[in-house]
Amino acid sequence: MEIFLQILANGVMLGGLFAIVAIGLTLIFGIVKVINFAHGEFLMVGMYLTFLLTTGLDLHPYIAAAAVVPALFVLGALTQRFLIQPLLSARDEHVQIFATVGLSTALMNLALLIFGADIANTPVHGVRSQVQLGPVRVLEGQIWILVAAVALVIGLQFFMKRTTLGRAIRATAQNRAAAQLMGINDRLIYVLTFGIGAACVGLGSALIAPLYPASPTVGTYFVLIAFVVVVLGGLGSVAGAFFGAILIGIVDAMSGFYIGSDLREAVVFGIFLVILILKPSGLFSTRLNQSHVSP
Amino acid sequence: MTDIATTLTSTPKRLAGRRAATFGLLAVLAGILLVPIGLNDEFVYHIFITICIFAALSTAWNIVGGYAGQLSLGHAVFYGIGGYAGVMLANLGISPWFGMFAGAGVAVIVAIIVSYPCFRLHGPFFALATIAFLEVFRVLALHFKEFTGGATGMMISLNIGWEWMVFRERLPALVIAFGMMLVCLAAAWVIRNRRLGFYLVATRERESAAKAAGVNTVKVRLMAVSVSAALSAMLGTFHAMYLTFIEPEAMFSLEFSIQIAMFALIGGIGTIWGPLLGAVLLVPITEFARGALGAEAIGLHGFVYGIVLMLVVLFMPNGIMGLLSRLRPAESARKETEAAPVAAEPRASGRTDAGEAVMRVEGLNKHFGGLHVTNDVGFTLREGEILGLIGPNGAGKTTLFNMLSGFLKPDEGSVSVRDAVGDWQHPASPGEFAALGVGRTFQIVQPFAAMTVEENIMVGAFHRHAQVGDAREAARETARRMGLGPYLDLEASSLTIGGLKRLEVARVMAMEPRILLLDEVMAGINQTDVRRAVDLMLSIRDTGVSIIAIEHVMQAVMSLSDRVIVLNSGQIIAEGEPRSVVSDPMVIEAYLGKEFANA
Repeated sequence: MEIFLQILANGVMLGGLFAIVAIGLTLIFGIVKVINFAHGEFLMVGMYLTFLLTTGLDLHPYIAAAAVVPALFVLGALTQRFLIQPLLSARDEHVQIFATVGLSTALMNLALLIFGADIANTPVHGVRSQVQLGPVRVLEGQIWILVAAVALVIGLQFFMKRTTLGRAIRATAQNRAAAQLMGINDRLIYVLTFGIGAACVGLGSALIAPLYPASPTVGTYFVLIAFVVVVLGGLGSVAGAFFGAILIGIVDAMSGFYIGSDLREAVVFGIFLVILILKPSGLFSTRLNQSHVSP
Repeated sequence: MTDIATTLTSTPKRLAGRRAATFGLLAVLAGILLVPIGLNDEFVYHIFITICIFAALSTAWNIVGGYAGQLSLGHAVFYGIGGYAGVMLANLGISPWFGMFAGAGVAVIVAIIVSYPCFRLHGPFFALATIAFLEVFRVLALHFKEFTGGATGMMISLNIGWEWMVFRERLPALVIAFGMMLVCLAAAWVIRNRRLGFYLVATRERESAAKAAGVNTVKVRLMAVSVSAALSAMLGTFHAMYLTFIEPEAMFSLEFSIQIAMFALIGGIGTIWGPLLGAVLLVPITEFARGALGAEAIGLHGFVYGIVLMLVVLFMPNGIMGLLSRLRPAESARKETEAAPVAAEPRASGRTDAGEAVMRVEGLNKHFGGLHVTNDVGFTLREGEILGLIGPNGAGKTTLFNMLSGFLKPDEGSVSVRDAVGDWQHPASPGEFAALGVGRTFQIVQPFAAMTVEENIMVGAFHRHAQVGDAREAARETARRMGLGPYLDLEASSLTIGGLKRLEVARVMAMEPRILLLDEVMAGINQTDVRRAVDLMLSIRDTGVSIIAIEHVMQAVMSLSDRVIVLNSGQIIAEGEPRSVVSDPMVIEAYLGKEFANA
């Protein structure tokens, strides 16, 4: 029983980590309707930035976040402005896919050129210390990630529902032409949204860096899981992504222990394929979001 | 530049351009074979063998990713299956020449099982699903160590000779790689120039219009995937023997899959020779970066790839082939005088001899949520009859059409069609309706935008003519009849709305239907065109075709229809001869409101 609870706790903590990576991805998809295949590389860039700031200036990684988050916002905004925006009216979807795949490839290999294939360990500054929570033990850093993910979900909900900018973003997502007629600058909205989505993963990267070593390919693993989470939670749904992430975290931890750690991914991606094929609107969606499937 | 462009439009120069393109292609192919033989350098051989393999893989990918528009980023699955099948069987003493076919067989089975449920996913989601399958295969290959050797990989037992595809010198490997590349190019060329290729592109451009033209969209895409998977697997077998060592990370690699797709994109996605050009230009960059710069520049070639990929999608989304075709003269409208569409004989007055029933509609009911869109609709269509279907907006006309052509299933009721032999059939899918000779147009035109006018009509003509030559002839004939003769070589996307409406009718006419469902083909076209369209429909009817036409242009309805059905709120409220129907108080009320009915 104790082992089960411990694995459950590990799963929830892992889920928090997946959530903080996936939230930005689902936000961008929900508003701009583009799947950002370079999202994992945004995470990787953020982790290297955190690594450089903590080792170079001897900062605490969480303080480094104050610089990493705006940096990632700029990276995201630039991506939208100069890569995605010119392609928004493209007739075929494949150009948008290849655009972000190209960005992903370029960023990953740039990191390989600069840092080499070796891993880069961000100083831990105590966040790897264990905390006893009732019958289970978790890392302090994991708790902060979970807290940050929950705060991000609530904060984004509030932002979207209560602020003028948030309303403008939702309006643009629901009907771009009508939003334009209401005087909303849709291009600016897309640039800001992409920036916010990237900033979310920027926050995630500063929190994750002390727990996981950075490497040029670190984003690939996380982004594949993030895709799973986003589809599971219903495309574009931030809260759905959070619960999807927790679920996948638990599945990952459980299957790692009970089935075999080398088959975890097969289980996770197997679930992904089943959901994608049988219920592409996601597990939690009440509203039909089936824009991506034929009837 | 402009002078050159204008002088080139004359036909002999165009032929010369074509000849130059053929010559260029042969030069590229000869170069791939002869340069390494001439230089006789190990490294050069290696580069050119790699070019052949990537060009072949990319060409095979393009059959699915380009022609069919299903963007697979997991194609290494098939390559990996071929590689493992080849090596495992070779280590059991079976020659890879047989192993490659075993691998291809497994790959085809996997491809069908994997693709079938995924085809309903659009663009990025199909790509995600293929990535997920690739990951599952990689993880399984790592897990089942007893078969695959796991993460440590597998060496082939070094038996040298042609029967093992393993050689001391490089030339035989180049010959095999080159030959396999030719096979892939030939397959791509044949598919693109046969009915299958037209069907694939049509399905990619507009799935519903392709279905209406009688294309079994699932079947043609499964065929494309099967061919592509089989070729990829055979290449995987050869590449594994060439590398003499395989491991899951290399055989089921996402990066490798992206590279395959990337060469096709850069060369020209959906074109026959684009993938070849992409590989010829980009593979040397990789191999030089790897070979010449070595460990210092690790990541350099990938970085260059990524940048090139972004630049290509931004500035030349049609790839190198797109650039080359811009050098060639633009296809101008043919200077052929437009033959007026065949005018119908003046109508024989008092036509009452409507033939036997060809379509029976009984008790159709359809609900969309709480909305009763079709309420107990029933009627019979006779041979050689034009049945006008009118009614205010939202009456359920298009929904009824969708049920009459298999695009929607009715909740209750049935649609039966009499086949050519005279038996009554109960078709259920668009394909079955098309097979029985029911053709339809769409209210919102659905051209295959990337195809020429001629190719658009050919998609319909293939329904009756399996051979490209016959279909082209039939398409030209239909185009002339529809007044589209001068535009045969133009891309459909460049037609005006009137032209697109005519194209819509031409495509369905080329199917030589027995029953024609026309959905507002006259909306938004000018008076002269309406007159021409009316004449055309009458001439079609006089060949024995039965027509149901949804139409708002009353002038047309009145002069065309033998009989009119009025639909309002899903119900038939009036039926009969045109004159009597339009004076029916119920009909006036439905259109104009109560006051007018009493006026």
